[in-house]
Amino acid sequence: MSHDYQILPRRKKKQIKKINFQLIFLLIPGLIVFGLFTIYPIVKLFVMSFFDWQIGFEQKSIFVGLKNYINVFNDPIFRKAISNTLIYALVTVPSQIIIGLLVAVLIHSIKRFKITFRVLYYLPVITSWVIVALVFKYIFNNEGFLNYVITDLLHLTTNYIPWLDQPSTGMFVAQLLGIWKGIGWNMVIFLAALQGVPLELYEAASIDGGGKFKQFFYITLPSIKNTILFAVVMLSIGAFNVFTSIQLMTGGHPAHQTEVALTWMYYKAFEARDFGYAAALSYIIAMIITMITLSQFKYFRKFK
Amino acid sequence: MMRKYKYKLLIYFILLIGVIITSTPMIYLISTSLRPNGSLYEYPPKLIPNKVTLENYRYIIFKVDFYRSFLNSFIVALCSTLLAAFISSSLAFCLARFDFPGKRLLFATIMATMIIPGMTLIIPQFELAVTFKLINKLGGLIPVYVAWVLPFSTFMIKGFIEGIPTDFDEAIYIDGGNAFTVYRTIILPLASPSIAAVSIFNFLMAWEEYPWALTVINDLEKRTLPITISGFFGQHNFTQWGYVFAMSVISLLPVIITFLFFQQYFVSGLSSGAIK
Amino acid sequence: MCKKSFSIRVLLLSLIFISLFASFGISANEQVTINFWHHYNAQSPENEKLINLIIPAFEKQYPHIKVKAIPHEWDQLHKKILVSTSSNQLPDVARADIAWLPEFQKLNILVPLNKEMGDFSAVAHRLLDGPMATAKVKGDYYGLALNTNTKILFYNKDLFSRAGVKVPKTMDEFFSAARKLSKKSGRQIWGYAEPALAGWNICPFIWSNGGDITDPEYKVASGFLNSEKNIEIIQKLADLYRDGAMTGFNKGAIPLTDGYALGRYGMIIEGPWKFAELENSYPQFKPATAPMPAGKGGSAQVLGGEDIVMFKTAKKEAAWEFMKFMTSEYAQIEMAKVGQIPVNKVAIDSSIIKNNKNMLPFLEAIQTAKPRPPVSTWPEIDKELTYAVTLSILGEKSVKESLDEAAKKIDILLAQQ
Repeated sequence: MSHDYQILPRRKKKQIKKINFQLIFLLIPGLIVFGLFTIYPIVKLFVMSFFDWQIGFEQKSIFVGLKNYINVFNDPIFRKAISNTLIYALVTVPSQIIIGLLVAVLIHSIKRFKITFRVLYYLPVITSWVIVALVFKYIFNNEGFLNYVITDLLHLTTNYIPWLDQPSTGMFVAQLLGIWKGIGWNMVIFLAALQGVPLELYEAASIDGGGKFKQFFYITLPSIKNTILFAVVMLSIGAFNVFTSIQLMTGGHPAHQTEVALTWMYYKAFEARDFGYAAALSYIIAMIITMITLSQFKYFRKFK
Repeated sequence: MMRKYKYKLLIYFILLIGVIITSTPMIYLISTSLRPNGSLYEYPPKLIPNKVTLENYRYIIFKVDFYRSFLNSFIVALCSTLLAAFISSSLAFCLARFDFPGKRLLFATIMATMIIPGMTLIIPQFELAVTFKLINKLGGLIPVYVAWVLPFSTFMIKGFIEGIPTDFDEAIYIDGGNAFTVYRTIILPLASPSIAAVSIFNFLMAWEEYPWALTVINDLEKRTLPITISGFFGQHNFTQWGYVFAMSVISLLPVIITFLFFQQYFVSGLSSGAIK
Repeated sequence: MCKKSFSIRVLLLSLIFISLFASFGISANEQVTINFWHHYNAQSPENEKLINLIIPAFEKQYPHIKVKAIPHEWDQLHKKILVSTSSNQLPDVARADIAWLPEFQKLNILVPLNKEMGDFSAVAHRLLDGPMATAKVKGDYYGLALNTNTKILFYNKDLFSRAGVKVPKTMDEFFSAARKLSKKSGRQIWGYAEPALAGWNICPFIWSNGGDITDPEYKVASGFLNSEKNIEIIQKLADLYRDGAMTGFNKGAIPLTDGYALGRYGMIIEGPWKFAELENSYPQFKPATAPMPAGKGGSAQVLGGEDIVMFKTAKKEAAWEFMKFMTSEYAQIEMAKVGQIPVNKVAIDSSIIKNNKNMLPFLEAIQTAKPRPPVSTWPEIDKELTYAVTLSILGEKSVKESLDEAAKKIDILLAQQ
């Protein structure tokens, strides 16, 4: 401890004196890209959200104050899109974590074919959203494979289910796709976390006579708490990022009932060319996701 | 003993069932791509086609400029990945090893931007692309991709660099080296596992990115894979799934091959951020 | 080892940049290249004809001009043109839906051809007056007519004879036929399929029922769009959908061409391009057609078609040569073979058209077809209309309520033009 304490200030002193201009050279590319393509757009977006914004050289943008924000909040489709997004998050985040953790625990407990299973479960993660969205669209279309299986093979219903035609089932297919694609990611991070749990803890528990389930709830879960928090935060952010799957499978149809936050933003910007509205909407989306993330941190801190 | 054996068997069985369920969509994708285009709405639909044909592959390879999209995606993804690797590792190096005014603010901002979906910035980024005349150019995709992945990459690599002992740096400085030398001879090689891990994700992201490419690129010969594949859906409600899926299979191949080669990097890259 | 991999990366990076710049360099040559954006489906016979026959013929005749044809989806093309307006990246020439012309004119992106092209009147004289009128906005001509079209009823003969239904002549017969053709269990059959619920799809029903979208002057929608007649006909469509006798506009539905040829859709209302498409993917299938069924307001159909337009940023001379070529007798007859109704006077009188059985019912129907409101805000009006009609047909809202709301919004859009 004391050793660390001595090294740290010595190093700092030295480097600050010696390396200023080199530091600048190392920093500059990052600062340019970050500043120009991330920070500047954030500021610009904020400005745009108060204008009836026009893109182009001969166009004039008119200052409209809070009108864009008022329009967003008064828009029934915005409310629909946000509630669709929140439901998407509420369904996909826990499901991915639970299934991913289950698979991780199972893979962790076996000795042979560990890597094979890990690879197979991870494959959906690396396939592109465009492709899996199209595959799901094909499987879930009215004449698709799934309807054939549940009606003609298993006789669960007499009629084909129009999965992508109804708002509720359309969102369900998107959620299913999200879960399917996310299990592998969760499996891998939980597998790594499980490897980090000290074996002594389990040994102590088995001497005490705890069963497998007890071990899981009293030893495993508390030990990987931080990983679960990480997963919850990352997956919630991911849920707000959902775009391609909805855009390609339902496109917001019918009548914008399956719109999510980003598809509605994209529609407003590039279909309706209401850039001011879309800018205000972007800000609101960013605010919501920031608030959700912060409250998740707070909630988990309480448990520590 | 017998019970334990049965128990193990059950675990393998459950895992196998899970694999079958998760891989069904991929199997269906491959089997559809091998089916004659006309029989896509055949009844009953089959997981394994009766008649296997390569006609879809022949069509997209010889009749459509598919290789062009493939090349475009490859160039864009590679450039974005390399740029992001250099920029984020040097930024992470500065953040991890030096003190400078505004450092805390910079790091806090980078952390904060990790939360915001990159797509929400698409409108001002589009305007930037207009200003810099990057519309309808492959080069217009790269800076935005780099910007989108920069915060997360920097964060991950910084965490990794902080785990590298400073003794090596010290040795270089004593030998008369400067920050560049440290970056080149110590940081880049020793942090390469984490750089490789984030690079794989950055490559995937650029390889499959859809909304920005859709917005910026117009010309056929500049389209990237996701745009070409999704663009096969034509007017008059007329879709040729066989071609779409044949293209999909080809575009998945390099990703899956890369993954099989580097799969331990995927895992280590993911877990180093998760466990801390 | 480490140094080596580092230098390999640098080498790779520089290689990539060199190849990038090289490819930019190649694309810049001395020829004039014009960009032509269109919405012939990328896999359609029309596009094949364009790329393999018409453009090569043009480039042979004008060796110094190269045409780069870029296909987009119909709504994607509209969106791309508007976004490109913002970014000053417009193409030189585009094939634009006649319903878009007023909007483009208002955006001030089109070249008024009669003012800038010396031989305009000679060229325009070669084309039919009716279609040419669609290119005229506020007294000037902003394009040349390229093709015209309308829709008629396609029906599946097998399904009709199996269900014992006669081909409908009136709207009432149409609705009852659609119900009789439908089969609701197992492999469902729908009597009628409509690929979307936009103005292009809904106007024929509204007009056939004697209603309209706006007043005849295109000033106001309230009192017209939400009239009793319109509520009645939209309600009929909603009932048809509820009874499982109508589909097509949903994302999960079988594509129109496939569903019709495979005997899953009894009737579709489609344009002349359908023949070539069917011929291409279902050569054994024999389509049958009939005029659009007549309602209270007669048998009304929507007038479609495209104009070829030039943008202000175009390389004007080359673009104009290409536009003239596309409207020439040769190109028009070739495109007619794949279902594009010609607008060239010589082409339409040629024996190829006169003897084309598929084309004749359309030529008949065009005589009475009506255009969609030629106002600059039509694309936005169309979106509101689609939204309202979709809500009504899905039963999410009452027809009256959604049409009332749409009428109010469309009033504002009509006032903006």
